[in-house]
Amino acid sequence: MSQVKSSKKIKWALDYNQKNKTQTADLPSPPGYSQSANASYTESSKDTDSNLLLIKKLWDVALGPLKQVPMNLFIMYMAGNSISIFPIMMVGMLIVRPVKALFSTQSTFKMVEGTQAIGQKFVYIIGNIVNILLALYKCQSMGLLPTHSSDWLAFEEPIIRVEHIAGGLSML
Amino acid sequence: MGVLSRTLKPNFLGLLKFLNNMNWFIVFFSLINLSVCIYEDQIGKFDWRQSYVGRIKFSQFDTVSTAKKIIVATEENVLAALNLKTGQVVWRHVFETASAGNIQLLHVGEKVTTVTGSNPYLVRGWNSATGVLMWEWSLTLQNAQQTDYSEWLVQNNMLVHMLPVFGSHLEVTMYNLLTGSNRGATSRLSAAWSNDGCILTGPYYTCVSGDMGSQLLLSLDVTANAIQFISKPLSNYINLQQSIGGNLRPLDSSVVPGFIVDDKKVILIKEGSFVMVGKELVDETASVAVIDGGSEQIMLQTWADDVKGFQLSAYSISSNSEVTEIHCSDPTMNIPEPEFKAVMCTRKAKEQFACRILVNGADDAVHLMQQGGRVLWTREEALANVVTAEFVDLPVSDTDAAIESEFDQKEGSVWSAFSRRLHSQYTQLQNLIRNLQGQSTQEDSTNALVRDYFNLHKIIVLITEAGKIFGMDNLSGEILWRRYEPGLDAEAVVLYTRRSARHPPHDAYVTVVGKHEETGNGYIISLNPITGNLVGEQTIKLDVRILQCALLHTPDSEKLHALVLLDEDETVQVFPISATSLVENLYMYVAEKESGKVQGYALKYNGASVEAQRTWSVRLGGAGGAQVAAVASRSRLERVRSPGRALADRSVLYKYSNPNLVLFVLDTPDPTHKEVVTAVVLDGASGALLGASQHRRARALPLAVHADNCFAYLYRSEKHRRLEIATMELYEGQERWLEPGAAFSSFASDRAPAVERQAYILPAGATAAAVTITERSLTDRHVLLGLTTGAVIEMPWAYLEARRGLTGGDEALLPYTPELPLHAEATLNYNRTIERVMGVFTAPAGLESTSLVLVTGLDLFYTRVAPSKTFDLLKDDFDYYLITIVLAALIVATYSTKYFASRKMLKLAWK
Repeated sequence: MSQVKSSKKIKWALDYNQKNKTQTADLPSPPGYSQSANASYTESSKDTDSNLLLIKKLWDVALGPLKQVPMNLFIMYMAGNSISIFPIMMVGMLIVRPVKALFSTQSTFKMVEGTQAIGQKFVYIIGNIVNILLALYKCQSMGLLPTHSSDWLAFEEPIIRVEHIAGGLSML
Repeated sequence: MGVLSRTLKPNFLGLLKFLNNMNWFIVFFSLINLSVCIYEDQIGKFDWRQSYVGRIKFSQFDTVSTAKKIIVATEENVLAALNLKTGQVVWRHVFETASAGNIQLLHVGEKVTTVTGSNPYLVRGWNSATGVLMWEWSLTLQNAQQTDYSEWLVQNNMLVHMLPVFGSHLEVTMYNLLTGSNRGATSRLSAAWSNDGCILTGPYYTCVSGDMGSQLLLSLDVTANAIQFISKPLSNYINLQQSIGGNLRPLDSSVVPGFIVDDKKVILIKEGSFVMVGKELVDETASVAVIDGGSEQIMLQTWADDVKGFQLSAYSISSNSEVTEIHCSDPTMNIPEPEFKAVMCTRKAKEQFACRILVNGADDAVHLMQQGGRVLWTREEALANVVTAEFVDLPVSDTDAAIESEFDQKEGSVWSAFSRRLHSQYTQLQNLIRNLQGQSTQEDSTNALVRDYFNLHKIIVLITEAGKIFGMDNLSGEILWRRYEPGLDAEAVVLYTRRSARHPPHDAYVTVVGKHEETGNGYIISLNPITGNLVGEQTIKLDVRILQCALLHTPDSEKLHALVLLDEDETVQVFPISATSLVENLYMYVAEKESGKVQGYALKYNGASVEAQRTWSVRLGGAGGAQVAAVASRSRLERVRSPGRALADRSVLYKYSNPNLVLFVLDTPDPTHKEVVTAVVLDGASGALLGASQHRRARALPLAVHADNCFAYLYRSEKHRRLEIATMELYEGQERWLEPGAAFSSFASDRAPAVERQAYILPAGATAAAVTITERSLTDRHVLLGLTTGAVIEMPWAYLEARRGLTGGDEALLPYTPELPLHAEATLNYNRTIERVMGVFTAPAGLESTSLVLVTGLDLFYTRVAPSKTFDLLKDDFDYYLITIVLAALIVATYSTKYFASRKMLKLAWK
């Protein structure tokens, strides 16, 4: 559709879409609907109220990761420390979700403006970091982190021999 | 809904937990199932077995039963029936190795009769068709001193035992063959003329007796009721002036009693008198047989001529003429010192002889011939006594070699490299087309001796006790070449691969270091293992005895590893001499078997020659006459890659991977414990003692293995009357002593490693032991044990581990159990029994998972083992077709759905 819009208008081309759009734009408002009334209402009376609601809602979002911590702890406890498909999936989710959330912080708080925005963002990031740390702790206790010397054993070079020996029982 | 989820959720998590536990069980069971075995349809796919009987002692044609056979009794104490047409073993009985199993007599009548052992003797009758034991009775002689001179004879269903008392009399006893009941008292025939040069032929006991110059030829029928005595002056038959006279030799196969005097004249005993055959022996060493060829008696002779090769001649005694159709003279046939073992001739038509001649050579090969010398089959019985074996790589195919050489050539411009590339790809394309066309060249290429992709195809070079060297294809077991070295005393022989076939244009090169049969001096044979031809140094007869030998670790400019010999004067010889300057950091040790003394040498190049310096000396097992039972050092093929092993707490236990370790197992007499087995681990370069253990009231078996930091040896515990296997492992500890990748020197460190020891009961008798070797030693290590039952079992090192039983909750370690499990599925040779396993030889394949195994003994058995399962190889029942079909179907489905989807989109757009 966008292609059609951007392309030059050819003499013999018929563009139904544009026509359709203009038609829809010209439609009259439904009965009882007044744009002006709605705008004046929010403007005048409920301005502060909705702002509070938004802040409250955003605090909910910001505190969301921290609220997940007890649930995550419980799942971690139930998953156990063995290496098998379900615990791995759970640990994977535990790590991936906060990381994803961290990367999408900007979009989550896109519409936030105001005094508490920085604090909300900060709390949100802290909460996600706590979740990541929890997941890392889980990985650690499952033995998935290469923190021990045995994890690097395969990369250790074997020794080089200097002396060579031969011999055995006397062949006399 | 909420209630449901509340009740389900814990259950779901509980299920998860349960699944986890199950997983642990699966891991646990997969650990338990460490042994590998094969499926029924894999029988003979990766393995083969060849049955041998050993050097033939007695043989007789079995003409009674319908299926024609040859019954043979051998030096290896084996009684067997060979198929006359193919030479295959029809049935076989393996008797004891000791003198109790010695076969004294073989008689084939309606039943096969054998006398085995030496006082007590066992007389047994066998069904010739099936080999089933029919009867058995034992016989114990009263005076045990002279039984070595006993002679046995079967006549008229009676077993005749004759015991000569030289210069006095003959004791002749007759027994019923079936029951062993004695006919009466032992008859004593006075024979003051008997001496130890006498021979028994048929019922006649023949001697040459009397003073020099007037000897008498005497014969006595020992079975006759009335004494029949023939006595003639020896001068009637031979000219006593020309020879000393009196040397009697029996005929090798004869229908009438007869003998050879002075390796020249053949005398037969007919109707109570001596009859001299009109023809003399052509060659002094000739083997003579007298046969009944229809109406006439024929004397056959065979000998090996240096120029004319194999010779066979026949002479009709009654008509005094040569029988030309049996005659054979073949310079291509190489049978050293041929000897008749059984001859049978029938006359089909008027003048047509049909002969079957069984000829045995000094190289233990037995040939069945027709008249005229046509060989029907040959059995290489030398392979029943393999001394040592080595797997040798095959060369790459010509096209592969061309590709390799293409990458080797660094010089030249871009354009020449490009043209080379084009050329090699053109040849590859040609090969591909030829393969697709399925021409006869393809068959050639499969049979051709070229290396396969995984380097599983190799040549096994085998050295046998008879001095015969064989080259064998490891996949088929076919003998590719054979070479008889009569001068080689294969008692203490060493086989080195001095150059593999990886270095074209140079040929592969193996060297056999042994002793010369006559002088005991060093004898070196250099061969091309692919063709069996002598190469390079050919054969060298040293004029000094060899103490020990070594293979130089650095190759010379022709990629040849030099041979370093330490002789009895402690001087060093290097072959080729040009490699003398390459000798560096080479150390040798020599252990004396009888005294337990070990001497270490350092070999140094002083600018002109190599000198051996005595560096250390140790007397193992104390002064009380310890005997070295076994020595084990690291295999030349082993490359250790992993420096340590991970423990349960995820720390590393570093191995003490000194490559110069040597294990000595000694038998030491002890005043309080009778005998003690001492195992000592020494550093072969510095002589440092690194570990030891001792077992009281035990006798060592000559079986010890060493790989990496692990040692295992076997001994018989006299106290508990059982076989035990003891293991030792050396560890550095949690910290690595040297930096990773650092050079290890035996002289640099004086720290002692920690030694772990453990011993286990082996509920079987073992006769051979080896460890599996893989390309990089990354796979698990299994110990292969050849058992007296004829099985070769694969014992994972996890069972033998010296750290087994350590407390600390290491779940990788099995808890200690004294007795080792011998699972039936751990048997490598499933139901193919290998009689008298003597040696197990292992070699790495190109695949990391796979190790090639050759088991020698009376039989040869080859297989391949994968100690950690074939992790780098698809299973051989992998369904290629199914996967191809599924893949193709998926691709087709993808593209068709794409097409249909686009069509549908288009239709939607038009709506």
